[in-house]
Amino acid sequence: MTQAAIDPAQVTADVIIVGSGAAGGMAAYSLTKAGLRCLMLEAGRDYDPQAEVNMYAPESDAPLRGSGTPDKPFGYFDATVDGGWEVEGEPYTMQEGTQFYWYRPRMLGGRTNHWGRHVPRWGAYDFKPFSRDGLGVDWPIGYDDVAPFYDRVEKMIGVNGGRIELENHPDSPPGCLMPPPKPRITEMLIKATAESLGIPVRPAHTAVLTRDMPDDVAPRSACFNATPCTRGCTIGAMFQTTTSFLPMAKATGKLTVVTDAMVARVTMAGTGAGRGRAAGVEYVDRKTGRRHQVRARAVMLAAGTGETTRLLLNSGGEGQPRGLANSSGQLGRNLTDSTGASFSAYIPALADRPRYNEDGIGGQHIYIPFWLYEQQKRGELDFARGYHFEIGGRFGIPPAAALPRTWGAGLKQAVRSASGATIGLTLRGEMIPNKDTYCEIDPSVKDRFGIPVLRFAFKFSQHEINQVAHGRRTAHAVFKRMNGTILDRDLPPEEIMTAGGEIIHELGTARMGADARSSVVDSYGQSWDVDNLMLIDGSIFASGAHKNPTLTILALALRASERLAARFKSGAFA
Amino acid sequence: MSLSRRETLQWMIAAAALPLARLAPPAMAAGTGVAPPFDVADWPDAPPALPPTKGYGRDPDLTMPTVPWPLTLSKAQRATIDLLGDLILPADDRSPGAGALGVGAFIDEWISAPYPTQQADRVIVISGLTWLDRQSTALHAAAFDAIRPTQRGALLDALTVAEPAAAMVQPVAFMDKLRTLFVLGFYSLPEGKADMGYIGDQPTPGPYPGPTPEALAHLSTVLKQMNLPPS
Repeated sequence: MTQAAIDPAQVTADVIIVGSGAAGGMAAYSLTKAGLRCLMLEAGRDYDPQAEVNMYAPESDAPLRGSGTPDKPFGYFDATVDGGWEVEGEPYTMQEGTQFYWYRPRMLGGRTNHWGRHVPRWGAYDFKPFSRDGLGVDWPIGYDDVAPFYDRVEKMIGVNGGRIELENHPDSPPGCLMPPPKPRITEMLIKATAESLGIPVRPAHTAVLTRDMPDDVAPRSACFNATPCTRGCTIGAMFQTTTSFLPMAKATGKLTVVTDAMVARVTMAGTGAGRGRAAGVEYVDRKTGRRHQVRARAVMLAAGTGETTRLLLNSGGEGQPRGLANSSGQLGRNLTDSTGASFSAYIPALADRPRYNEDGIGGQHIYIPFWLYEQQKRGELDFARGYHFEIGGRFGIPPAAALPRTWGAGLKQAVRSASGATIGLTLRGEMIPNKDTYCEIDPSVKDRFGIPVLRFAFKFSQHEINQVAHGRRTAHAVFKRMNGTILDRDLPPEEIMTAGGEIIHELGTARMGADARSSVVDSYGQSWDVDNLMLIDGSIFASGAHKNPTLTILALALRASERLAARFKSGAFA
Repeated sequence: MSLSRRETLQWMIAAAALPLARLAPPAMAAGTGVAPPFDVADWPDAPPALPPTKGYGRDPDLTMPTVPWPLTLSKAQRATIDLLGDLILPADDRSPGAGALGVGAFIDEWISAPYPTQQADRVIVISGLTWLDRQSTALHAAAFDAIRPTQRGALLDALTVAEPAAAMVQPVAFMDKLRTLFVLGFYSLPEGKADMGYIGDQPTPGPYPGPTPEALAHLSTVLKQMNLPPS
């Protein structure tokens, strides 16, 4: 996809887009369609799912049966290439006594090549959390501002799902969603059980096509109900920018993509009429180590929450140790990740159940949305923000914990019997920003390009700990109602929670707000300090919600891109 | 070699930290930490670490999977692993034994891999193989592969008690590890999937068909038994 012999310095671009994931892909698509010339810089390598994804091979073809390793944390065939929790020569550090894991794909398309595809809409409460419980901050926009963009994004990327009809879980207008897949037996059992306990179960919204999506450039096919989505999808059923926005933007002739381009800083116009505006960016060619400067009339940062923040903190130059666009002092603050915990049980009643093809579209077909907003509002819960459960349980190799300690014929019989008899509930919850959780520039450590690295500090508050404890009580109540044998170890909630960053929902380090004093950008991601600098990734979130962020990242990136195109049209950058 | 009390305590602490709370389905619950029917041989020292080798890296060619590290089991160790495979998951009318199917090669690949999890597992497996021969020799004056099938069976029974006595914690953890690896290695192969009756991995265009009438009928029975409304 990358042109071979580009001299980026000679590219005349209206907009530089840093990053090619969900936000960058959406910006490239929207801006090129609006006629703007875009130069996209991606830190990772070029990547072509058509040539590189091994969709059909069984795990037994892979080393270690495809198990995750430090080289490939989510398994051998996982689509994340050349990146992960660690990147050679590109470290990050942590404040003593705290833990944070930073997932960095280094590839065209970023995390969209490997992601959960669970795309719930955020609701009215999610944009005004402070008004509801006095914690954190409100967004400068509300659900009604974002809703029209949700409508369009759902249609653009292809989302299947059904109606939810619950408080703070807005439903999509007719025509936005493709039909959801039928639930599996395990999911139906969880639904019957949970609902008998007053816990709702609803169709999940998933960014996988259940109907063909024709397009002249990048036609995408409906899911054929096989192969793991996390490997990437050569038929385009799973949304990833490498099979959708990027080829479509490329086809306009207005997008130039440069890969292996690690942006080090935003450069500023020194003098004249452009003073105070961004001139472009400086990047390091990761292959040669050489530095290049490229210029454009506007700069959009979509490098991912951490990288966007890092390069602004590194863009201050002389006399600006706090970085660029940071007059509020909020840059790097307010970092959050989703809470995470997993619960599972062996359900004797499911032993030896009749076999059928349980693949369906990848991942869950139904899920448990947060259902206790009223109780929370009345102060009946000891945690302020919600969570949801994603549902698992399929035929396959039973987990070790669900097998008896035996050998011989009895073990073979036990495996057959227990296959498909284990179910899981995976919690994802909202974290409230706190003063102990942030990222900053490490004063002494630099990466192999000489760029100062990020240092993280991370701490969950009692809200998150109590939330996970509540989630465990709930999950176990569901399991017990099914006469299940709980397989979880009995540990304090702090010890069953995933560490910061592990859910890969890091957000908030350049948050948006109503004024320049308290926030880094406005509701369009436009920097308060630098007129032609826009941030469009997860860094601009004012809070995290318990709902997965990608649909909202896409909606805000579309909204920001259209705003930028309108400003170009009105001559703001002439 | 005898164990100091300190080492024994360390074992027990380490064992308590392991996820040994394996499910014992009600019918399987047995044992209360009673001593095994023999004097337990000393657990061997950890084997020397493997010479450093490379993994497959962060960016392997996914369309041509290969195992770049050398296999490291000795011929004798591999033979014992194959023998254990056919004992742990024996041939029956549905599928071959794990040893005969070649899952031993997977165990060798696993314990030879230069990653932390696999190297920790290697210590358990290699030590366990040494211990097995040691215990077998102490009891029957022959290595594990040379004793009688009933004698092997008695040893495996002692290695699969629900609640091992302190001296058996490490040998039982070895067998737990081996069982888990054999299950993974065996049931991820086509023969193992067929054994489980697994249906899937088949592109099925059109809307997902969902459960069969038979599967739905079973669910409906389950719901009735649980006093739950129809789903």
